[in-house]
Amino acid sequence: MTEFVYLDNAATTAVDPRVVEAMLECLGPGGDYANPSAVGHDPGRRARARVEQARAEVAAAVGADPSQVIFTSGATEADNLALLGAARFYRERGRHIVTSRTEHPAVLDACRQLEREGFEVTYLKPGTDGIVEPAQIEAALRADTLLVSLMHVNNEIGVVQDVGAVGRLCRARGVLFHVDAAQGAGKLPLDVERDCIDLLALTAHTVHGPKGGGALGGRREPRLGRARRRGGGGQERGLRSGTLATHQVAGMGAAYRIAAACMAEEGARIAALRDRLWRGLAVIPGVTLNGHPTRRAPGILSVTVDGVEGESLLYCLSRLAVASGSACATTSGEPSYVLRALGRSDRLAQSTLRLSLGRFSTVADVDTAVQEITAAVARLRAVAPERRP
Amino acid sequence: MNDADPRYGGEVRRRMASLAGAAPAHAATGPGVITGRAGDREQGAEVVLLLRLAQGRVAEARYRAFGCPHLLAAASWLTERLVGCVRADLERWDWREAAGAVEVPPAKFGRLLTLQDAVRDAAGNWPGDAASTV
Repeated sequence: MTEFVYLDNAATTAVDPRVVEAMLECLGPGGDYANPSAVGHDPGRRARARVEQARAEVAAAVGADPSQVIFTSGATEADNLALLGAARFYRERGRHIVTSRTEHPAVLDACRQLEREGFEVTYLKPGTDGIVEPAQIEAALRADTLLVSLMHVNNEIGVVQDVGAVGRLCRARGVLFHVDAAQGAGKLPLDVERDCIDLLALTAHTVHGPKGGGALGGRREPRLGRARRRGGGGQERGLRSGTLATHQVAGMGAAYRIAAACMAEEGARIAALRDRLWRGLAVIPGVTLNGHPTRRAPGILSVTVDGVEGESLLYCLSRLAVASGSACATTSGEPSYVLRALGRSDRLAQSTLRLSLGRFSTVADVDTAVQEITAAVARLRAVAPERRP
Repeated sequence: MNDADPRYGGEVRRRMASLAGAAPAHAATGPGVITGRAGDREQGAEVVLLLRLAQGRVAEARYRAFGCPHLLAAASWLTERLVGCVRADLERWDWREAAGAVEVPPAKFGRLLTLQDAVRDAAGNWPGDAASTV
Protein backbone atom coordinates (compact mmCIF):
# COMPACT_ATOMS: atom_id res chain seq x y z
CA MET A 1 0.00 0.00 0.00
CA THR A 2 1.19 3.51 -0.81
CA GLU A 3 2.54 5.45 2.15
CA PHE A 4 0.39 8.53 2.63
CA VAL A 5 1.06 11.82 4.27
CA TYR A 6 -2.24 12.63 5.91
CA LEU A 7 -3.01 16.34 5.82
CA ASP A 8 -6.80 16.24 5.89
CA ASN A 9 -7.42 16.58 9.61
CA ALA A 10 -10.21 19.10 9.07
CA ALA A 11 -12.15 16.34 7.32
CA THR A 12 -11.49 13.88 10.12
CA THR A 13 -8.71 12.77 12.42
CA ALA A 14 -7.16 9.52 13.52
CA VAL A 15 -8.60 8.39 16.83
CA ASP A 16 -6.15 8.92 19.65
CA PRO A 17 -5.06 5.56 21.15
CA ARG A 18 -6.11 6.82 24.60
CA VAL A 19 -9.58 7.41 23.18
CA VAL A 20 -9.61 3.96 21.64
CA GLU A 21 -8.78 2.53 25.05
CA ALA A 22 -11.68 4.39 26.66
CA MET A 23 -14.04 3.13 23.96
CA LEU A 24 -12.89 -0.47 24.24
CA GLU A 25 -13.69 -0.40 27.95
CA CYS A 26 -17.34 0.01 26.95
CA LEU A 27 -17.57 -2.72 24.36
CA GLY A 28 -16.42 -6.21 25.21
CA PRO A 29 -17.50 -8.79 27.77
CA GLY A 30 -16.51 -7.48 31.15
CA GLY A 31 -16.73 -3.93 29.86
CA ASP A 32 -19.36 -1.29 30.50
CA TYR A 33 -21.48 -2.38 27.57
CA ALA A 34 -24.86 -2.36 29.28
CA ASN A 35 -27.63 -0.02 28.25
CA PRO A 36 -26.98 3.26 30.09
CA SER A 37 -30.72 3.75 30.52
CA ALA A 38 -31.02 0.41 32.37
CA VAL A 39 -30.15 1.91 35.73
CA GLY A 40 -32.02 -0.84 37.59
CA HIS A 41 -28.89 -2.98 37.63
CA ASP A 42 -25.24 -2.38 38.30
CA PRO A 43 -23.90 -2.87 34.76
CA GLY A 44 -26.44 -0.33 33.53
CA ARG A 45 -25.47 2.10 36.27
CA ARG A 46 -21.80 1.71 35.36
CA ALA A 47 -22.60 2.49 31.74
CA ARG A 48 -24.66 5.47 32.87
CA ALA A 49 -21.70 6.68 34.92
CA ARG A 50 -19.52 6.46 31.79
CA VAL A 51 -22.02 8.59 29.90
CA GLU A 52 -22.25 11.19 32.64
CA GLN A 53 -18.49 11.31 33.00
CA ALA A 54 -18.21 11.98 29.29
CA ARG A 55 -20.93 14.62 29.51
CA ALA A 56 -18.94 16.37 32.21
CA GLU A 57 -15.71 16.14 30.18
CA VAL A 58 -17.30 17.63 27.08
CA ALA A 59 -19.04 20.34 29.12
CA ALA A 60 -15.81 21.26 30.89
CA ALA A 61 -13.98 21.72 27.60
CA VAL A 62 -16.41 24.46 26.54
CA GLY A 63 -17.35 25.96 29.90
CA ALA A 64 -20.85 24.51 29.89
CA ASP A 65 -22.92 22.93 32.61
CA PRO A 66 -23.10 19.16 32.04
CA SER A 67 -26.89 19.29 32.26
CA GLN A 68 -26.85 21.38 29.08
CA VAL A 69 -25.02 18.81 26.95
CA ILE A 70 -27.07 16.54 24.71
CA PHE A 71 -25.25 13.80 22.84
CA THR A 72 -25.93 13.48 19.11
CA SER A 73 -24.44 11.66 16.16
CA GLY A 74 -22.24 14.62 15.28
CA ALA A 75 -22.20 18.36 14.65
CA THR A 76 -24.55 18.10 11.68
CA GLU A 77 -27.31 16.65 13.85
CA ALA A 78 -26.52 19.12 16.61
CA ASP A 79 -26.76 22.04 14.17
CA ASN A 80 -30.12 20.80 12.92
CA LEU A 81 -31.41 20.15 16.43
CA ALA A 82 -30.35 23.63 17.51
CA LEU A 83 -31.59 25.66 14.56
CA LEU A 84 -34.80 23.81 13.76
CA GLY A 85 -35.65 23.16 17.39
CA ALA A 86 -35.09 26.70 18.66
CA ALA A 87 -36.61 28.45 15.65
CA ARG A 88 -39.74 26.33 15.67
CA PHE A 89 -40.22 26.60 19.39
CA TYR A 90 -39.76 30.37 19.51
CA ARG A 91 -41.39 31.19 16.19
CA GLU A 92 -43.85 33.56 17.82
CA ARG A 93 -40.94 35.69 19.10
CA GLY A 94 -39.66 36.41 15.63
CA ARG A 95 -39.05 34.85 12.28
CA HIS A 96 -35.81 36.44 11.22
CA ILE A 97 -32.48 34.61 11.31
CA VAL A 98 -28.99 35.94 10.57
CA THR A 99 -26.15 33.75 9.36
CA SER A 100 -23.27 33.91 6.88
CA ARG A 101 -22.76 32.57 3.38
CA THR A 102 -19.75 30.56 4.46
CA GLU A 103 -21.44 28.38 7.05
CA HIS A 104 -21.32 24.60 6.89
CA PRO A 105 -24.07 22.98 4.78
CA ALA A 106 -25.57 21.62 8.00
CA VAL A 107 -26.44 25.19 8.96
CA LEU A 108 -27.31 26.46 5.49
CA ASP A 109 -29.63 23.54 4.77
CA ALA A 110 -31.40 24.02 8.10
CA CYS A 111 -31.83 27.71 7.27
CA ARG A 112 -33.30 26.86 3.88
CA GLN A 113 -35.74 24.51 5.58
CA LEU A 114 -36.77 27.30 7.92
CA GLU A 115 -37.27 29.61 4.94
CA ARG A 116 -39.72 27.05 3.56
CA GLU A 117 -41.51 27.24 6.89
CA GLY A 118 -41.93 31.01 6.67
CA PHE A 119 -38.75 32.30 8.29
CA GLU A 120 -36.64 34.97 6.66
CA VAL A 121 -32.88 34.44 6.64
CA THR A 122 -30.19 37.09 6.07
CA TYR A 123 -27.02 35.54 4.64
CA LEU A 124 -24.11 37.88 5.37
CA LYS A 125 -21.22 38.07 2.95
CA PRO A 126 -17.85 37.91 4.69
CA GLY A 127 -14.96 40.13 3.71
CA THR A 128 -12.38 38.85 1.26
CA ASP A 129 -10.49 37.61 4.32
CA GLY A 130 -13.41 35.38 5.33
CA ILE A 131 -14.24 37.38 8.45
CA VAL A 132 -17.80 38.35 9.32
CA GLU A 133 -17.43 41.49 11.42
CA PRO A 134 -19.66 41.92 14.49
CA ALA A 135 -20.72 45.25 13.00
CA GLN A 136 -22.21 43.36 10.06
CA ILE A 137 -24.21 41.24 12.47
CA GLU A 138 -25.34 44.29 14.39
CA ALA A 139 -26.48 46.01 11.22
CA ALA A 140 -28.47 42.95 10.20
CA LEU A 141 -30.36 42.57 13.49
CA ARG A 142 -34.02 43.55 13.42
CA ALA A 143 -36.77 43.75 15.97
CA ASP A 144 -37.98 40.34 14.86
CA THR A 145 -34.56 38.67 14.74
CA LEU A 146 -34.81 35.42 16.64
CA LEU A 147 -31.45 33.81 16.15
CA VAL A 148 -27.91 34.37 14.86
CA SER A 149 -25.80 31.43 13.66
CA LEU A 150 -22.07 31.86 13.06
CA MET A 151 -19.38 29.20 12.88
CA HIS A 152 -16.35 29.46 15.15
CA VAL A 153 -13.70 28.25 12.69
CA ASN A 154 -14.41 27.90 9.00
CA ASN A 155 -13.88 24.34 7.87
CA GLU A 156 -12.42 25.28 4.48
CA ILE A 157 -10.18 28.24 5.12
CA GLY A 158 -9.63 28.09 8.87
CA VAL A 159 -10.45 31.69 9.76
CA VAL A 160 -11.66 32.31 13.31
CA GLN A 161 -14.73 34.43 13.88
CA ASP A 162 -15.03 36.64 16.94
CA VAL A 163 -17.86 34.65 18.46
CA GLY A 164 -17.40 36.34 21.84
CA ALA A 165 -18.15 39.78 20.43
CA VAL A 166 -21.11 38.46 18.45
CA GLY A 167 -22.39 36.55 21.47
CA ARG A 168 -22.32 39.61 23.70
CA LEU A 169 -24.08 41.59 21.00
CA CYS A 170 -26.80 38.98 20.69
CA ARG A 171 -27.22 38.70 24.44
CA ALA A 172 -27.66 42.47 24.71
CA ARG A 173 -30.35 42.34 22.05
CA GLY A 174 -32.14 39.29 23.38
CA VAL A 175 -31.28 37.22 20.31
CA LEU A 176 -30.37 33.53 20.52
CA PHE A 177 -26.82 32.74 19.39
CA HIS A 178 -25.84 29.43 17.81
CA VAL A 179 -22.24 28.48 17.04
CA ASP A 180 -21.05 25.57 14.93
CA ALA A 181 -17.79 24.74 16.70
CA ALA A 182 -16.97 21.55 14.82
CA GLN A 183 -13.54 22.88 13.84
CA GLY A 184 -12.76 25.09 16.80
CA ALA A 185 -13.81 23.36 20.00
CA GLY A 186 -10.98 21.51 21.66
CA LYS A 187 -8.43 23.47 19.65
CA LEU A 188 -9.09 27.07 20.62
CA PRO A 189 -10.42 28.48 23.88
CA LEU A 190 -14.20 28.54 23.83
CA ASP A 191 -16.47 29.22 26.77
CA VAL A 192 -20.22 29.32 26.38
CA GLU A 193 -20.61 31.51 29.48
CA ARG A 194 -17.94 34.04 28.58
CA ASP A 195 -18.87 34.04 24.89
CA CYS A 196 -22.65 34.17 25.53
CA ILE A 197 -23.34 31.14 23.34
CA ASP A 198 -26.83 29.71 23.70
CA LEU A 199 -26.43 26.74 21.37
CA LEU A 200 -23.09 25.10 20.55
CA ALA A 201 -22.64 22.27 18.04
CA LEU A 202 -19.73 19.91 18.70
CA THR A 203 -18.25 16.84 17.10
CA ALA A 204 -15.77 14.24 18.28
CA HIS A 205 -14.04 13.18 15.09
CA THR A 206 -12.17 16.43 14.46
CA VAL A 207 -10.46 16.23 17.87
CA HIS A 208 -9.16 12.67 17.52
CA GLY A 209 -12.38 11.15 18.79
CA PRO A 210 -14.69 8.71 17.03
CA LYS A 211 -16.90 9.47 14.05
CA GLY A 212 -20.55 9.26 14.99
CA GLY A 213 -20.18 11.23 18.19
CA GLY A 214 -21.36 14.78 18.69
CA ALA A 215 -23.13 17.02 21.12
CA LEU A 216 -25.28 20.08 21.44
CA GLY A 217 -24.29 22.27 24.33
CA GLY A 218 -25.10 25.71 25.53
CA ARG A 219 -25.03 28.28 28.25
CA ARG A 220 -28.62 27.80 29.17
CA GLU A 221 -31.55 25.92 27.86
CA PRO A 222 -33.60 27.77 25.34
CA ARG A 223 -36.29 25.14 25.38
CA LEU A 224 -35.79 23.45 22.10
CA GLY A 225 -38.84 22.48 20.07
CA ARG A 226 -40.30 19.44 21.73
CA ALA A 227 -42.02 18.13 18.66
CA ARG A 228 -40.85 14.54 18.79
CA ARG A 229 -38.72 14.42 15.72
CA ARG A 230 -37.66 10.94 16.66
CA GLY A 231 -40.08 9.04 18.88
CA GLY A 232 -38.83 6.46 21.33
CA GLY A 233 -37.57 6.12 24.83
CA GLY A 234 -37.10 9.81 25.54
CA GLN A 235 -33.35 9.70 26.06
CA GLU A 236 -31.33 12.92 26.22
CA ARG A 237 -34.14 14.87 27.85
CA GLY A 238 -36.59 13.76 25.22
CA LEU A 239 -34.71 15.52 22.45
CA ARG A 240 -33.02 12.49 21.03
CA SER A 241 -34.59 9.15 21.67
CA GLY A 242 -32.55 6.02 21.15
CA THR A 243 -30.12 3.95 23.16
CA LEU A 244 -26.98 5.96 23.74
CA ALA A 245 -23.84 4.51 22.16
CA THR A 246 -21.83 4.38 25.36
CA HIS A 247 -18.53 3.69 23.62
CA GLN A 248 -18.99 6.66 21.26
CA VAL A 249 -19.97 8.94 24.09
CA ALA A 250 -17.07 7.76 26.25
CA GLY A 251 -14.74 8.28 23.30
CA MET A 252 -15.99 11.80 22.79
CA GLY A 253 -15.53 12.58 26.45
CA ALA A 254 -11.97 11.26 26.42
CA ALA A 255 -11.19 13.16 23.21
CA TYR A 256 -12.35 16.47 24.69
CA ARG A 257 -10.62 15.83 28.01
CA ILE A 258 -7.31 15.19 26.24
CA ALA A 259 -7.80 18.12 23.86
CA ALA A 260 -8.55 20.52 26.68
CA ALA A 261 -5.55 19.34 28.68
CA CYS A 262 -3.05 19.86 25.87
CA MET A 263 -4.73 22.69 23.97
CA ALA A 264 -2.13 25.40 24.49
CA GLU A 265 0.93 23.22 23.89
CA GLU A 266 -0.58 21.31 20.99
CA GLY A 267 -2.01 24.42 19.41
CA ALA A 268 1.39 26.08 19.42
CA ARG A 269 3.07 23.03 17.93
CA ILE A 270 0.48 22.65 15.17
CA ALA A 271 0.50 26.38 14.41
CA ALA A 272 4.28 26.19 14.00
CA LEU A 273 3.85 23.31 11.54
CA ARG A 274 1.20 25.28 9.65
CA ASP A 275 3.51 28.29 9.44
CA ARG A 276 6.37 26.08 8.22
CA LEU A 277 4.04 24.68 5.56
CA TRP A 278 3.00 28.14 4.45
CA ARG A 279 6.59 29.38 4.31
CA GLY A 280 7.43 26.44 2.07
CA LEU A 281 4.51 26.99 -0.27
CA ALA A 282 4.58 30.77 -0.35
CA VAL A 283 7.78 30.78 -2.41
CA ILE A 284 6.00 29.06 -5.30
CA PRO A 285 4.99 31.80 -7.73
CA GLY A 286 1.24 32.22 -7.97
CA VAL A 287 0.42 30.67 -4.59
CA THR A 288 -1.83 32.74 -2.37
CA LEU A 289 -3.27 32.24 1.09
CA ASN A 290 -7.04 32.13 1.51
CA GLY A 291 -8.50 33.87 4.52
CA HIS A 292 -7.27 36.26 7.15
CA PRO A 293 -3.49 36.07 7.63
CA THR A 294 -3.53 35.96 11.43
CA ARG A 295 -7.04 35.16 12.67
CA ARG A 296 -6.60 31.50 11.87
CA ALA A 297 -7.05 28.14 13.54
CA PRO A 298 -3.74 26.38 14.15
CA GLY A 299 -4.30 23.45 11.85
CA ILE A 300 -5.92 24.67 8.63
CA LEU A 301 -4.13 26.18 5.65
CA SER A 302 -5.97 26.97 2.43
CA VAL A 303 -3.92 27.96 -0.59
CA THR A 304 -4.82 28.74 -4.17
CA VAL A 305 -2.33 27.76 -6.84
CA ASP A 306 -2.74 29.87 -9.94
CA GLY A 307 -1.68 28.39 -13.26
CA VAL A 308 -2.53 24.77 -12.59
CA GLU A 309 -5.80 22.93 -12.95
CA GLY A 310 -7.13 21.70 -9.64
CA GLU A 311 -8.01 18.11 -10.53
CA SER A 312 -4.68 17.52 -12.21
CA LEU A 313 -2.89 19.01 -9.22
CA LEU A 314 -4.70 16.66 -6.85
CA TYR A 315 -3.95 13.77 -9.21
CA CYS A 316 -0.24 14.51 -9.05
CA LEU A 317 -0.38 14.69 -5.25
CA SER A 318 -1.42 11.10 -4.89
CA ARG A 319 0.93 10.55 -1.93
CA LEU A 320 -0.75 13.36 -0.04
CA ALA A 321 -4.18 13.08 1.55
CA VAL A 322 -5.33 16.67 1.10
CA ALA A 323 -8.63 18.27 0.15
CA SER A 324 -9.51 20.55 -2.71
CA GLY A 325 -12.13 22.14 -0.46
CA SER A 326 -14.57 21.04 2.17
CA ALA A 327 -14.75 17.29 2.36
CA CYS A 328 -18.48 17.77 2.70
CA ALA A 329 -18.66 19.42 -0.72
CA THR A 330 -16.00 17.81 -2.87
CA THR A 331 -18.26 15.01 -4.06
CA SER A 332 -20.36 17.58 -5.92
CA GLY A 333 -17.49 18.64 -8.18
CA GLU A 334 -18.72 22.22 -7.87
CA PRO A 335 -16.30 25.00 -6.98
CA SER A 336 -16.33 25.80 -3.27
CA TYR A 337 -19.10 28.24 -2.32
CA VAL A 338 -16.92 29.45 0.54
CA LEU A 339 -14.12 30.50 -1.81
CA ARG A 340 -16.63 32.03 -4.19
CA ALA A 341 -18.03 34.07 -1.29
CA LEU A 342 -14.51 35.39 -0.73
CA GLY A 343 -14.41 36.57 -4.33
CA ARG A 344 -12.37 33.77 -5.87
CA SER A 345 -13.25 32.87 -9.46
CA ASP A 346 -14.49 29.37 -10.20
CA ARG A 347 -11.14 28.47 -11.75
CA LEU A 348 -9.13 29.66 -8.79
CA ALA A 349 -11.54 27.98 -6.40
CA GLN A 350 -10.88 24.72 -8.22
CA SER A 351 -7.14 25.27 -7.98
CA THR A 352 -7.27 25.44 -4.21
CA LEU A 353 -5.85 23.00 -1.69
CA ARG A 354 -6.85 22.70 1.93
CA LEU A 355 -4.05 21.22 4.03
CA SER A 356 -5.01 20.51 7.60
CA LEU A 357 -2.74 19.34 10.40
CA GLY A 358 -3.47 17.42 13.53
CA ARG A 359 -2.00 15.83 16.64
CA PHE A 360 -0.04 13.25 14.69
CA SER A 361 1.33 15.57 11.98
CA THR A 362 5.09 15.94 11.87
CA VAL A 363 7.77 18.20 10.44
CA ALA A 364 8.57 15.42 7.97
CA ASP A 365 4.94 15.42 6.81
CA VAL A 366 5.07 19.13 6.20
CA ASP A 367 8.39 18.99 4.35
CA THR A 368 7.17 16.12 2.18
CA ALA A 369 4.04 18.07 1.33
CA VAL A 370 6.05 21.13 0.32
CA GLN A 371 8.30 19.01 -1.89
CA GLU A 372 5.42 17.16 -3.53
CA ILE A 373 3.35 20.26 -4.18
CA THR A 374 6.32 22.21 -5.51
CA ALA A 375 7.17 19.39 -7.92
CA ALA A 376 3.59 18.87 -9.06
CA VAL A 377 3.03 22.55 -9.76
CA ALA A 378 6.26 22.76 -11.76
CA ARG A 379 5.35 19.66 -13.73
CA LEU A 380 1.86 20.87 -14.67
CA ARG A 381 2.99 24.39 -15.46
CA ALA A 382 5.65 22.94 -17.75
CA VAL A 383 2.99 21.52 -20.05
CA ALA A 384 0.48 24.39 -19.79
CA PRO A 385 0.11 26.82 -22.67
CA GLU A 386 1.74 30.16 -22.15
CA ARG A 387 -0.72 32.72 -20.92
CA ARG A 388 -2.15 34.87 -23.65
CA PRO A 389 -1.31 38.54 -23.29
CA MET B 1 0.99 8.60 -9.57
CA ASN B 2 -2.58 7.82 -8.80
CA ASP B 3 -2.76 4.08 -9.32
CA ALA B 4 -5.60 3.44 -6.89
CA ASP B 5 -8.12 6.05 -8.00
CA PRO B 6 -10.87 4.30 -9.99
CA ARG B 7 -11.80 7.52 -11.79
CA TYR B 8 -8.75 7.14 -13.99
CA GLY B 9 -8.09 4.28 -16.37
CA GLY B 10 -4.76 2.73 -17.25
CA GLU B 11 -4.18 4.96 -20.26
CA VAL B 12 -4.67 8.11 -18.21
CA ARG B 13 -2.32 6.81 -15.53
CA ARG B 14 0.32 5.83 -18.05
CA ARG B 15 0.22 9.14 -19.87
CA MET B 16 0.03 11.26 -16.74
CA ALA B 17 3.15 9.48 -15.55
CA SER B 18 5.09 10.36 -18.67
CA LEU B 19 3.27 13.38 -20.15
CA ALA B 20 4.61 12.04 -23.45
CA GLY B 21 4.31 14.44 -26.36
CA ALA B 22 4.39 17.60 -24.28
CA ALA B 23 6.13 20.45 -26.03
CA PRO B 24 9.00 22.07 -24.18
CA ALA B 25 8.49 25.57 -22.91
CA HIS B 26 8.79 28.14 -25.67
CA ALA B 27 8.66 25.39 -28.26
CA ALA B 28 9.75 26.65 -31.60
CA THR B 29 7.24 27.58 -34.21
CA GLY B 30 8.22 28.64 -37.66
CA PRO B 31 8.48 27.27 -41.15
CA GLY B 32 6.90 23.88 -41.37
CA VAL B 33 5.22 24.10 -37.97
CA ILE B 34 1.54 24.94 -37.58
CA THR B 35 -0.39 25.51 -34.41
CA GLY B 36 -3.93 24.76 -33.35
CA ARG B 37 -5.30 26.48 -30.29
CA ALA B 38 -8.61 26.17 -28.48
CA GLY B 39 -10.20 26.67 -25.10
CA ASP B 40 -9.71 29.06 -22.26
CA ARG B 41 -8.09 28.23 -18.96
CA GLU B 42 -10.70 30.36 -17.21
CA GLN B 43 -13.16 27.72 -18.40
CA GLY B 44 -10.89 24.93 -17.20
CA ALA B 45 -9.53 23.62 -20.50
CA GLU B 46 -7.00 25.02 -22.96
CA VAL B 47 -5.02 23.15 -25.62
CA VAL B 48 -2.28 24.17 -28.03
CA LEU B 49 -1.10 21.72 -30.69
CA LEU B 50 2.21 22.17 -32.48
CA LEU B 51 2.38 20.13 -35.69
CA ARG B 52 5.51 19.86 -37.81
CA LEU B 53 4.61 19.13 -41.39
CA ALA B 54 6.67 17.32 -43.99
CA GLN B 55 5.61 16.26 -47.44
CA GLY B 56 2.01 17.26 -46.83
CA ARG B 57 1.60 15.21 -43.69
CA VAL B 58 2.05 15.64 -39.96
CA ALA B 59 5.57 14.47 -39.23
CA GLU B 60 5.58 15.27 -35.53
CA ALA B 61 3.01 16.51 -33.04
CA ARG B 62 3.41 18.13 -29.64
CA TYR B 63 0.94 19.59 -27.20
CA ARG B 64 0.63 22.01 -24.37
CA ALA B 65 -2.50 21.79 -22.25
CA PHE B 66 -4.21 23.12 -19.15
CA GLY B 67 -6.93 20.85 -17.86
CA CYS B 68 -7.92 17.72 -16.02
CA PRO B 69 -5.94 14.45 -16.22
CA HIS B 70 -8.29 13.09 -18.87
CA LEU B 71 -7.65 16.08 -21.13
CA LEU B 72 -3.88 15.95 -20.63
CA ALA B 73 -3.86 12.23 -21.35
CA ALA B 74 -6.03 12.68 -24.43
CA ALA B 75 -3.74 15.43 -25.71
CA SER B 76 -0.76 13.17 -25.17
CA TRP B 77 -2.49 10.33 -27.02
CA LEU B 78 -3.42 12.69 -29.86
CA THR B 79 0.19 13.63 -30.53
CA GLU B 80 0.78 10.03 -31.57
CA ARG B 81 -2.53 9.68 -33.38
CA LEU B 82 -1.96 12.71 -35.61
CA VAL B 83 1.39 11.62 -37.01
CA GLY B 84 0.95 10.81 -40.68
CA CYS B 85 -2.34 12.67 -40.99
CA VAL B 86 -3.08 14.93 -43.90
CA ARG B 87 -5.12 18.08 -43.64
CA ALA B 88 -8.41 16.35 -44.40
CA ASP B 89 -7.81 13.93 -41.54
CA LEU B 90 -7.59 16.86 -39.20
CA GLU B 91 -10.70 18.44 -40.60
CA ARG B 92 -12.79 15.39 -39.87
CA TRP B 93 -11.14 14.16 -36.68
CA ASP B 94 -13.74 13.52 -34.00
CA TRP B 95 -13.25 13.78 -30.22
CA ARG B 96 -15.02 10.44 -29.66
CA GLU B 97 -11.93 8.63 -30.87
CA ALA B 98 -9.95 10.08 -27.95
CA ALA B 99 -12.79 9.40 -25.54
CA GLY B 100 -12.58 5.71 -26.34
CA ALA B 101 -8.80 5.50 -26.40
CA VAL B 102 -8.31 7.22 -23.05
CA GLU B 103 -11.51 5.94 -21.37
CA VAL B 104 -12.92 9.38 -20.72
CA PRO B 105 -16.14 9.39 -18.66
CA PRO B 106 -19.20 11.11 -20.16
CA ALA B 107 -18.99 13.96 -17.66
CA LYS B 108 -15.68 14.93 -19.25
CA PHE B 109 -16.71 14.75 -22.91
CA GLY B 110 -16.98 18.53 -23.07
CA ARG B 111 -13.28 18.83 -22.36
CA LEU B 112 -12.52 16.73 -25.43
CA LEU B 113 -14.41 19.16 -27.64
CA THR B 114 -11.61 21.57 -26.79
CA LEU B 115 -9.19 19.05 -28.23
CA GLN B 116 -11.28 18.70 -31.37
CA ASP B 117 -11.45 22.47 -31.74
CA ALA B 118 -7.67 22.67 -31.51
CA VAL B 119 -7.29 20.04 -34.23
CA ARG B 120 -9.71 21.94 -36.47
CA ASP B 121 -7.87 25.18 -35.76
CA ALA B 122 -4.64 23.51 -36.85
CA ALA B 123 -6.32 22.33 -40.03
CA GLY B 124 -7.33 25.92 -40.69
CA ASN B 125 -3.71 26.97 -40.33
CA TRP B 126 -2.45 24.33 -42.76
CA PRO B 127 -0.39 26.15 -45.40
CA GLY B 128 -1.26 26.29 -49.05
CA ASP B 129 -4.54 25.84 -50.82
CA ALA B 130 -7.57 26.05 -48.54
CA ALA B 131 -9.10 23.09 -50.29
CA SER B 132 -8.57 19.62 -48.90
CA THR B 133 -5.68 17.66 -50.29
CA VAL B 134 -7.69 14.45 -50.21
